[in-house]
Amino acid sequence: MNYDVPFWNPYLETLPREKLDELRLKKFRRIFRWAYERSKFHRNLYQQAGIQPDDIRSLEDVAKVPKVEKSMMRDIQRKDPFPYGDALCVPLDEVTEFRQTSGTTGQPVYQADTWQDWEWWSECWATLLWAQGYRPSDRVFLPFGYNIFVAFWAGHYACEKIGCETVPGGVLDTKARILKMQEIKATAMMCTPTYVLGMADTATNKLGLNPASDLGIRRITCAGEPGALIPATKKRMEQAWGAKVFDHVGATEIGAWGFECADQPGALHVNEAMFLAQIEDMETGEPITGPGKPGKLVITALDRIAQPCIRFDSKDIVEFSDDKCSCGRTYRLMPGGVIGRADDITKVKGVLLAPSAIEDVVRSIPGLGDEYEVVVEKRGDVDHILLKVELSEGAEIPQKEMEARLSTELRVRTNLGYEIQIHSYGTLPRFEVKARRFKDLRKHGVS
Amino acid sequence: MEQQIDPKQLAPIVEDLCRLAQVLYDRSQDWPALNRNSRRILASVEMLKINLGRDSD
Repeated sequence: MNYDVPFWNPYLETLPREKLDELRLKKFRRIFRWAYERSKFHRNLYQQAGIQPDDIRSLEDVAKVPKVEKSMMRDIQRKDPFPYGDALCVPLDEVTEFRQTSGTTGQPVYQADTWQDWEWWSECWATLLWAQGYRPSDRVFLPFGYNIFVAFWAGHYACEKIGCETVPGGVLDTKARILKMQEIKATAMMCTPTYVLGMADTATNKLGLNPASDLGIRRITCAGEPGALIPATKKRMEQAWGAKVFDHVGATEIGAWGFECADQPGALHVNEAMFLAQIEDMETGEPITGPGKPGKLVITALDRIAQPCIRFDSKDIVEFSDDKCSCGRTYRLMPGGVIGRADDITKVKGVLLAPSAIEDVVRSIPGLGDEYEVVVEKRGDVDHILLKVELSEGAEIPQKEMEARLSTELRVRTNLGYEIQIHSYGTLPRFEVKARRFKDLRKHGVS
Repeated sequence: MEQQIDPKQLAPIVEDLCRLAQVLYDRSQDWPALNRNSRRILASVEMLKINLGRDSD
């Protein structure tokens, strides 16, 4: 096989826009009819909205289809068949994979997949890994506690599909994982941005290794959290590991829908042959099709059959770009990837605040460690933001000086004032999978 | 229910699958998705051959 081909699927990834639109409409009509005919939940939802499969004649018609929210999935799963409920579109005997959401935003949602769905998962991941330069000559280490969290399972199967040598770093602790990567000369790995930085910290400060020179990792794929497209975080990871770091985005209920390509355009490509991504205005719900206006992502997985994902309200905040990527893919770009979460982007003192902006400031300042925590609460009638940061190992910077710099840069970036606490190295909590660094102790949500 | 299945009657079908997958594999050197998926089909077809006791013929 020719490893120089830049596309996993040269046909689909370079389809002209009109052909992509034809394909997406055809696939949407098929999955919509599939769910309508096989799932009581979907049929009731659509009948209540007065819409049937034959009503979908254009991509514009898709906006008439009601959205599905995570809370609806939680309710469904109290019904039969156990444990998935009546959104299931195949007999239970055909379900081969159980996974569940991480529970970051509440009660976890169960996800059923058939073997066909699982092939589809690995196909989506193979698309993104190939785009990021993974080839059969790679030895890929997965420092991940293999369990019911789906992301890196799919990455594992995709590596196998591509033909990479796939190394499961399951129950090992962080030190053992690093030493195993060194021992077997792993060339690539995938984990959350938090863990990429945490592993570098452990390698440096507990094992006396320099990941960039003592380990041979050339590329890292991130999932599970933003970070790989937050400039300061990406820079820290790439410098620590001497590797290219790529973002990817997906969700248990959706699939792996977006990826950064090897050209690193500072944006995600939407895998438009497999997903229909639509953006809605956060306040009016009106569709946003043009570039440069952020809104909420509503997404359909076009080929997933057991528990279809049709017009899922992802709560991810994204925006389209009309820029063409130098990689040659025709898949549309989303600059900055997932800019924030509708759950997290909140008004503080009347100003919209995205936690990713705070992260970008904290990690752009030399002498500060990778960990931080933001707590928003009411003090009397006034919103108050507490930012806790850590000094990096061995840093000797006067506290007042650091506070002043942070305060100034945060004011410029977010237009808000903060109470800043500077802690010594190693005192803030460490995370392995999904970090919870933003706590809003007021009433939650976008106001 | 016990079915009488003659492995020798099924073997040519598996050989057809194998031949078709091999054609896809050979023609997809510049199309990684087709190439790697047909390679996996070939591996599964080998399992079918094992299922049919090919080696005991």
